[in-house]
Amino acid sequence: MIQSVLVLGASGFIGRRVVQALAAADGCIPLAAGRRLATRTEDGIEALHLDGGDEPALAAALTRVQAVVDCTAAPPETMRRISAALFRAANAAGRPLVVQLSSMAVYGNAVGRVAETAALSDEQGPYAAAKLAGERLAADYGRAVILRPGCVYGPGGLQWSLRLARLLRARRLGDLGAEGDGIANLVHVDDVARAVVAAVRQGRAEGQAFNLAMAGAPTWNEYLMAFAQALAAVPVRRLSARRLRLETKLLAPPLKILEMAAARAGAVAWAPPLVPPSLARLFRQEIRLDSGKSERLLGQTWMPLDEGLAETAAWCRAQRA
Amino acid sequence: MILDANDLPEGAPQEADLCIVGAGAAGIAMALELLDSGLRLLLLESGGFGAEADSQALYAGAVADPALHSPLDTYRERRYGGSTTLWGGRSMPFDPIDFEARDYIAHSGWPIAFEDLAPYYPRANRIAEAGAYAYRAGQAFTRPLPPMIEGFASADLGTDTLERFSCPTDFGRRYRHKLEAAANCRLLLHANVTRIALAADGGAVDHLDVATLAGRRFQVRAGHVVLAAGGLENARLLLASRDVQAAGVGNGHDLVGRYYMCHMAGTIGALRFTRPVWHGYDIADDGTYCRRRIALSPEAQRRLRAGNVIARLHHPRIIDPAHRNGVLSMLYLARMFIPYEYAKRLDGEVRLGLIPQARHLWNVLADMPGTAAFLWHLLRDRRLAERKFPSIIIRSKANLYSLDVHGEQEPNPDSRLTLERETDALGMPRLKADWRYSRQDIASIATMLEVLARDVAACGVGRFTYDPDSVEHEMTRYGAYGGHHIGTTRMAASPRQGVVDAHCAVHGLPNLHVAGSSVFPTSGQANPTLTAVALGLRLADRLKSLAAPSPVSVGLPYTDRSMN
Repeated sequence: MIQSVLVLGASGFIGRRVVQALAAADGCIPLAAGRRLATRTEDGIEALHLDGGDEPALAAALTRVQAVVDCTAAPPETMRRISAALFRAANAAGRPLVVQLSSMAVYGNAVGRVAETAALSDEQGPYAAAKLAGERLAADYGRAVILRPGCVYGPGGLQWSLRLARLLRARRLGDLGAEGDGIANLVHVDDVARAVVAAVRQGRAEGQAFNLAMAGAPTWNEYLMAFAQALAAVPVRRLSARRLRLETKLLAPPLKILEMAAARAGAVAWAPPLVPPSLARLFRQEIRLDSGKSERLLGQTWMPLDEGLAETAAWCRAQRA
Repeated sequence: MILDANDLPEGAPQEADLCIVGAGAAGIAMALELLDSGLRLLLLESGGFGAEADSQALYAGAVADPALHSPLDTYRERRYGGSTTLWGGRSMPFDPIDFEARDYIAHSGWPIAFEDLAPYYPRANRIAEAGAYAYRAGQAFTRPLPPMIEGFASADLGTDTLERFSCPTDFGRRYRHKLEAAANCRLLLHANVTRIALAADGGAVDHLDVATLAGRRFQVRAGHVVLAAGGLENARLLLASRDVQAAGVGNGHDLVGRYYMCHMAGTIGALRFTRPVWHGYDIADDGTYCRRRIALSPEAQRRLRAGNVIARLHHPRIIDPAHRNGVLSMLYLARMFIPYEYAKRLDGEVRLGLIPQARHLWNVLADMPGTAAFLWHLLRDRRLAERKFPSIIIRSKANLYSLDVHGEQEPNPDSRLTLERETDALGMPRLKADWRYSRQDIASIATMLEVLARDVAACGVGRFTYDPDSVEHEMTRYGAYGGHHIGTTRMAASPRQGVVDAHCAVHGLPNLHVAGSSVFPTSGQANPTLTAVALGLRLADRLKSLAAPSPVSVGLPYTDRSMN
């Protein structure tokens, strides 16, 4: 059976790759939706202009599909609003399958090996709380698959690729010693896209949650070291805990204000990157996402880190020009 | 979790699947390797988080000849982190030839080959934070490096092997958060082992007696015990436990404490080059400091019947103001601010008269810009840097250097540690070190120097002049190289030749193991820490299956087990 799949946030980092993966998969036809889209995507795939919060438009789009993937990246309150609108509209429009992109943030400050059955928490703040709220709506709705990716990296990625690349090039990140012993639960954006396709196509995924992080994920130190070398941002500098505190306590607050001002002026790319305290905390968090279930049930495989990093570093270098 | 032994309930025995004695380089590396093993680990550390005079005093002992060996409470630290709180960070693997039995080095040959240890070195490098396991310039650097000595080529001497440096990482500080968070590992501070108590039949360790300086005493009962207390202290613990085996534990063949080696080291001669020379550090992509050295090739060692010897280009002797270098004179004048362990080879404990002292002062004043630049470099790259510039490098305007030599010692049963009658505060007999060197030790270095002088001249890159009759004097001027305590519980396939077997278990005592440089049968040219860590990781690997707990307790952390 051919399935039409609506992709919300289709022009974003993950959404764009999900649309491409669906288009390449047998039996799937993507319908790309986003605020910046009109009738076709750059790749010629059918698209529609849609604001996630516009419930009637959403309901109309949902009547045309058998499944919907929410790839919206937005501030927490917007994410909550869109999730709520999505599940209401889905209930009113024939109850299609919903693939919900959650996050490892819902595991809070857990450490050690963490499987999908672990306790959930909103202790990491509004972003985690919004993702958790989305998961609760998905559970109530019933016909949903929840994907909990770790840190999604790859060409086009701002958080875990470009931001880190800029900080590494400025030698503001590097070898962090004891401050970087946490696990970088990386997942390449193409691996996430393939998980979405599998979630849509595999009936047995319905009602389940899946962690998504590469097997044998490196420590943050190892990731930063390998990424810096791929970027030729060498020699990698060893940074002290004192230096990192300087970043999070002294530099981050004014840089955050600058970033917000730049965002208002529509020039986000010009603001220097910052290391918020939450990021420094993550660098220390020794949480290892257990993604065995996605390997077993979704047939998930992982892009090797050196391959993913080479491609990502090449893209990051191109952003400088 | 980390606890203080003084806070434990009085008299209650401590139980574990595996007890590691000593939280230094080897002990902490092993514990890290076993954090996910499901084994209940107990790590005993004599000291606390910082330096404590009363703990350190337990290290005091006697030396046969103070001119040849530094006091036993120097170059080692009895505290959490062990001597990694003091080390310089030079992280070198042994060379394959070091494991071979060589007919020109008495008692040489390991019961394992380089290949048996090689798989553990990369992880040892990671734990020591010494960067990639790459020890040739061509491997470690993708960019071409300037030659160490332009125009120099020799069939017998190589200049492409590297020294790599740790931060230098204090293992205790670096990995404290991991030991604190681990559910299956308890680190007890201020816990001193005073006796290895064997079962009545002498076939296994029954328990350890432990005491604190505050007077608390208790026993540790563990399925397996690893001594990782350092190259001197491992032997002391075995020798001092005499109630079941009269000569000491594992000492049935009178080998414990014998074959004590450090390294031969000294500075000699004048090397004047006519071609450009690069004798400083190169920074690898991973940020580690690397430095090339002149090494006698394995083929040359075999052909010339010499031990393993390396040399570095060094600044002129600091003490002699004739070098007219402001930085060196400043170091001489500031020597009282430099820790004993590092100052010893700076000033040679020679008192200078007023006139040479004034000349040093003049050197500093005359070279103000150079001295100021050096102080800035010292502040930025050493004092404030987390990864520290490893040593003082002085670029010689005259292209004139001395040669800093580091060489292997031949194992010698008469070079040994024994117990004194005098005891420490816990009633443990103190150690006495009678360190000796052999003709072969000096001959190996003399051979290397001859080859160097010959090949430097033959290549037309300069001249190496030295007094061949002064080799022994210069190589023993400061005595045994401090801090390298090797061979005192040597490894051999047969109990007649060694204290531990190829797996580091004490012969005849399958649940007692030794980690650290005391098990090395030979000393090689390499500084011992990295190999001590690698051997510890190999032992940890073996203990994962050997010390596996009974099925009932698999994976249960301490907190669960004590709930009853």
